[in-house]
Amino acid sequence: MSITQYNGSAIVAMTGKNCVVIGCDKRLGQQALTVDMNFEKVFRVKDKLYVGLPGLATDVQTLHDRIRYRVNMYDLEEERAIQPDNLAHMISNMLYQKRFGPYFCEPIIAGLTEKDEPYIMGMDLIGCLSSAPDFIVGGTASDNLYGMCEALWEPDLGPDDLFRSASQALLNAVDRDAMSGWGAVVHVITPEKTETYHLQGRQD
Amino acid sequence: MNDFKQQFLGDTLTKTLFSETEASATTNGLGSTGSGFETTAHKFALAPLQKPVEFAKTHIDNTSETQARIQAAHGTTTLAFKFQHGVIVCTDSRATMGNVIASQTVKKVIEINEFLLGTMAGGAADCSFWERELGRQCKLYALRNKKRITVAGASKILRNMVLNYKGMGLSMGTMICGWDEDTTDPALFYVDSDGQRLENHLFSVGSGSTFAYSVLDAGYHYNMEVEEAKELARRAIYHATYRDAFSGGYVRMYHIKQDGWVAFDLQDVGELDIHYYPERKGVPDNQVQEEIIRPAGVSV
Amino acid sequence: MVPANRRGFHFDNCKRNELLESKGSITAKFTKTGTTIVGLIYKDGVILGADTRATEGPIVADKNCEKLHRLTENMYCAGAGTAADTEYTTNMIASKLELHRLNTNRQPRVVTAASMLSQHLFQYQGHIGANLILGGYDINGPQLISVMPHGSTDKLPYMTLGSGMLAAMAVFETKWKPNMERDDAIALVTEAVSAGIFNDLGSGSNVDVVVITKDRTDYLRNHSKPNQRVPKQTSYKYPPGSVSVIRKEVRYHSNANQSPAAVVPEVVMSES
Repeated sequence: MSITQYNGSAIVAMTGKNCVVIGCDKRLGQQALTVDMNFEKVFRVKDKLYVGLPGLATDVQTLHDRIRYRVNMYDLEEERAIQPDNLAHMISNMLYQKRFGPYFCEPIIAGLTEKDEPYIMGMDLIGCLSSAPDFIVGGTASDNLYGMCEALWEPDLGPDDLFRSASQALLNAVDRDAMSGWGAVVHVITPEKTETYHLQGRQD
Repeated sequence: MNDFKQQFLGDTLTKTLFSETEASATTNGLGSTGSGFETTAHKFALAPLQKPVEFAKTHIDNTSETQARIQAAHGTTTLAFKFQHGVIVCTDSRATMGNVIASQTVKKVIEINEFLLGTMAGGAADCSFWERELGRQCKLYALRNKKRITVAGASKILRNMVLNYKGMGLSMGTMICGWDEDTTDPALFYVDSDGQRLENHLFSVGSGSTFAYSVLDAGYHYNMEVEEAKELARRAIYHATYRDAFSGGYVRMYHIKQDGWVAFDLQDVGELDIHYYPERKGVPDNQVQEEIIRPAGVSV
Repeated sequence: MVPANRRGFHFDNCKRNELLESKGSITAKFTKTGTTIVGLIYKDGVILGADTRATEGPIVADKNCEKLHRLTENMYCAGAGTAADTEYTTNMIASKLELHRLNTNRQPRVVTAASMLSQHLFQYQGHIGANLILGGYDINGPQLISVMPHGSTDKLPYMTLGSGMLAAMAVFETKWKPNMERDDAIALVTEAVSAGIFNDLGSGSNVDVVVITKDRTDYLRNHSKPNQRVPKQTSYKYPPGSVSVIRKEVRYHSNANQSPAAVVPEVVMSES
């Protein structure tokens, strides 16, 4: 078993028309044993900038702390809000520094840029960035999510349609993955507001 | 490589190769014990290699997930307990291969005959094959002796059959449940592929068994009414599916009475969850109430 | 505490990860380029070509990634192997070359880049998984140099690297000749990369090309797109009300993109 599958996770980010969504499952397990059913893996960095951290839970928490520290330092030093691409490269650098002793986490960034254009970015556990025009997925259910998203995603979805497509992709993907699920949280980011939905999901 | 070619190409050659190992496999078989039972043990070909047992271990071992080349479906919660009105047999219905949920509608109870039920944990193919074979043996017994075999006898046949293949990669954890003719008490045995055979009031088998046991132990007593017993079994399976990643799907339940078993409707664990915890039910996304979190100083 | 701004690689997770591995868990997969990368020298300069697929095990992680890395105006580098390594190694050398250019006030030479790359990779004894084809044009004319993960270099008029290198080399071996014309050379590079795209599972999607001549560099991103996806014939939109929601929170943005000093804090702490 791979160490990235020890706790279980599923994260998806999708682009739409002037909006992005990012969502995650809520399970935290120790292999087969489910320990926590309310463990969120997507974190708010700024109003219009979120980061999803699928992978080993201990590294998810450490990385989240370090990201928060670095973003706060950026705020103080630069006196301007960090942009999604800045954050992506910042995290990528943090990960590549540990090229030979990595964190077991593959971060996903979702947000709106200064011009309110949708931005999503994924990376592997040593910080290799990979962008996509449509969606980025991660976690133990990533194979399932790839299939769901390839089918459900279409260009220029509005916030409500995008929310439903991403939610259905996420819920159906985790229903075929033993290590993730137990409910889900989805953030819909638009220029004016961010809507956070706590979804009903199967509890088995 | 040549061994594999022989296995697929040279039919006659393979037969001669197998014949030696066949002999060794049947020496311990029930056929030679003179008990009057036949086994199909001699029908299984072992790998035509120097160490067929080693081959079986490395290639078709169900217990070591990482090393075996052929991975069988596993991960389960099954339970059965005796009470004053018979036996309740209850299982989940999930099958996993690795972390992928292969099916949510697996039937993990095997109806051996009208009076005997077997449960399935471990290798699905091993359980269904050997319990089907057990059904054949039980039928033969009934025809020869004009009398149904006892649950104790049936479980012992199963144990003896799988014991012939001990250490060769069989994976099976099963409960044989029934009610003997002309007795007032139901019967319940646990048999596994290690050759263990136990009798008790209450068993649970599979990756979710620990969770099921804790619910069962908290609520079990022999003088339960049928409805109470069914609810206890249902809750035990439900809580096992809640905590165990490899259990889930539907709750399947049987009640064994003196005159045979009856099966009940499947219950979706997702619906059961809402039944037990109504607050977990959501509303359609276009009807949900919005909670507004407003940063200070921002007017909308 | 370890200072956050210390440079170079950090090894503080190594002991823990070694322990995890010894307990039987498999370390996770890195993104690999899979890759067909090629390079050749033609009459007026040098051309590099690459496919655009990145893989993570059997999964296509990126369908249109960039494997041609800019080092300087007159030099590009095609990378195969561990994607993060090729990206970061070429980025670092690119910035070193720029500093070198500013210090010396001269156009950097291809051999300079080759030595920097090979010394860096040799220092890490092959642990940095970068297989590179370096192509450029300097005062010594067009040059093509390959650098392997352990630091060895090779200088050839045409070369291929990555999992699709055999398919691409088959094309080069039959059709490459000295002093080719620009259009023929671009077509040959495209054909060689396409051979990788279609015959190697690790390579796929589009062909990127860069043409470097004495006084001009043309980066032809997605020069050939032989794997365009057909538009979806059906929409799988879900109707409103089809997702079951337990709770919905709405957070209105304070005038977004303001500097932190201007953002009113969400919670006002009382003096204690």
